[in-house]
Amino acid sequence: MTKRYNDYFGDFGGRYVAEVLRAPLDELEDAFLDAMDDPSFHDEFDEIASTFVGRPTPMLYAKNSSKEIGGAQIFVKLEGLANTGAHKINNAVGQILLAKRMGKRRIIAETGAGQHGVATAAVCAKMGFECTVYMGEIDITRQKPNVFWMELFGATVAPVGSGQKTLKDAVNEALRDWASSFADTHYIIGSALGPSPYPDMVREFQSVVGREARAQIEEMITARDLNLEALVACVGGGSNAIGFFEPFLETKAPRLIGVEAGGRGPEPGNHAARMKGLGRTGIVQGYKSLFLLDPDGQVQDTHSVSAGLDYPGIGPQLAALGVAGRIEFARATDSEALDALQFFAKNEGVVFALESAHGAAEAIRLARELPPTSAIVVNMSGRGDKDLFITAKQLDKERWQEFLAREAAE
Amino acid sequence: MSRIMAHLVTHYPDADRSRAVAQGLIDGGASYLEIQFPFSDPTADGPAIQKACQDALDTGFSVDEGFSFVRNVASDIRESGREIPIFVMTYASLIFARGVERFLADGVDAGATGFILPDIPIDYDEGVWDAATRVGATIMPVTVTTAARARLDLILERSPKYAYIALRRGITGVKTQLDSKMLAVLDRFRDAGTRVMAGFGITEADQVRALEQHVHAVVVGSALVRTVTDCAADDHETIRAAVAARLKALLPET
Repeated sequence: MTKRYNDYFGDFGGRYVAEVLRAPLDELEDAFLDAMDDPSFHDEFDEIASTFVGRPTPMLYAKNSSKEIGGAQIFVKLEGLANTGAHKINNAVGQILLAKRMGKRRIIAETGAGQHGVATAAVCAKMGFECTVYMGEIDITRQKPNVFWMELFGATVAPVGSGQKTLKDAVNEALRDWASSFADTHYIIGSALGPSPYPDMVREFQSVVGREARAQIEEMITARDLNLEALVACVGGGSNAIGFFEPFLETKAPRLIGVEAGGRGPEPGNHAARMKGLGRTGIVQGYKSLFLLDPDGQVQDTHSVSAGLDYPGIGPQLAALGVAGRIEFARATDSEALDALQFFAKNEGVVFALESAHGAAEAIRLARELPPTSAIVVNMSGRGDKDLFITAKQLDKERWQEFLAREAAE
Repeated sequence: MSRIMAHLVTHYPDADRSRAVAQGLIDGGASYLEIQFPFSDPTADGPAIQKACQDALDTGFSVDEGFSFVRNVASDIRESGREIPIFVMTYASLIFARGVERFLADGVDAGATGFILPDIPIDYDEGVWDAATRVGATIMPVTVTTAARARLDLILERSPKYAYIALRRGITGVKTQLDSKMLAVLDRFRDAGTRVMAGFGITEADQVRALEQHVHAVVVGSALVRTVTDCAADDHETIRAAVAARLKALLPET
């Protein structure tokens, strides 16, 4: 097991925040470490995980897909079947239990695709917390359904019109709120990034995915005498990847592969891939990691068809493990992700979220290179329902627009 | 006597007219200038300054141009015959990208006395303090009156010449109410021999007067940026006069 609290991972991590935010981060670190040693905290987490989140989430043997590809056997961890549709709920549950321990009564969060916002709004509804979710104006436009769900759960969705109007700007706004509100407010950050202790804490709460997967691998892959070659996960900030990989970080096998958003291509502004030479070491939003920066250190624009991968930084532990070579990184473009989404929908009856479809694309590519005696597990960190308005427009534009026009006319 | 450290964002509203802002602040009686280099993600700033930074970046600001700006303002100060130290305020990303020592050395070379770096705390300092000693720069640490005593001690142990103390929890730009707890923190630094620069939310001469005995200088930021925003479409001389007038109105009559 990796250490619970690291602060730094190699050269990356740290707590680079204005002094005003030290008090809440120090308080959070204490509460986190205290909770991790308290069996009653884990009991409550497990109870909510099984009765509310829907854990354990299943692992699917993608038999038809594997056969069609003719290479490695592909298994899919169906994390997207968790309540609210993605792995984000695991972290939201863990952090709201911490908020309760700290005596906070209000929750703030940032969201990109909206999945973390929906998960946070849902746990706030369940646990009786006031909730404000900061969301970039562009993300609000492209993820309208999730805005609707958050509001249905009773959350306030606060539009962020500064900067690029996407996820990173929502993080800035949430940090600003927290700087003046931490006495009664906890900030539930949605990915394994930001100032310490967030990267450690979010990894711990998401590692439930990896622990379940490890047991399922025993039952489904080892029992079939297959050779587990690799685990594959998409990487935005990287919380699903680090949670999924966690039980395997200190072993040499299997290969761990993170898949970044290749977007429209490798030119600046067209993608969100920080690893393999495109990112620079920098300090942004409270932590040191690899970011998409210009030579002056200004954060560059990013693009991905999936709002959840459209972020200029990567979690510090993933960056460190990438530099150290334990985790490999690959990229999938917008169109490769859409192709993979269709492939698994047709063959398996499951719809990947656009984010997770980047992992699916890499799994398909990798399976082709491997013999049928080997196995790959890809984490479907989210399901694709929330992307209907994007996916349908991309894949069936004319009829979809006719439908929308009819609806709008009613 | 009241002193004000007046804040401006270089390249806001654009390169030329931000020079007019600096000149207005010199005319208006600033004792110190805090020149902010815009960063794309300024988490410690409020809406007025953030918007100004975004606009400044849109004019094509670069760090090299920022140092040229400092050089020009330093020459304006010399021409005025007054002594007004310049502090460059910016974020870790810009310093780190250029290299800590090079950034500080370039600033000093351009005429800056020191640096204000809100997201480089004293215990995650990236070598800033050592580099500052080597290049002859002064670091003005930033803290807040609500910080834990141990955190304040960490700063006081360095016996800094200056300390920038935010008077309220949170971000810049909202009106501040003074209370005795805040003043006690200011006095602690003052009594340790540190020149206290206190600000956040200063919009009226009354506030400046109330702080006078507790601080070396009062920091005025968002209020001045809003003045620049109000005359962002005006010419050089109009901006210069408006900024000078706004600053004069904040200085209690002596």
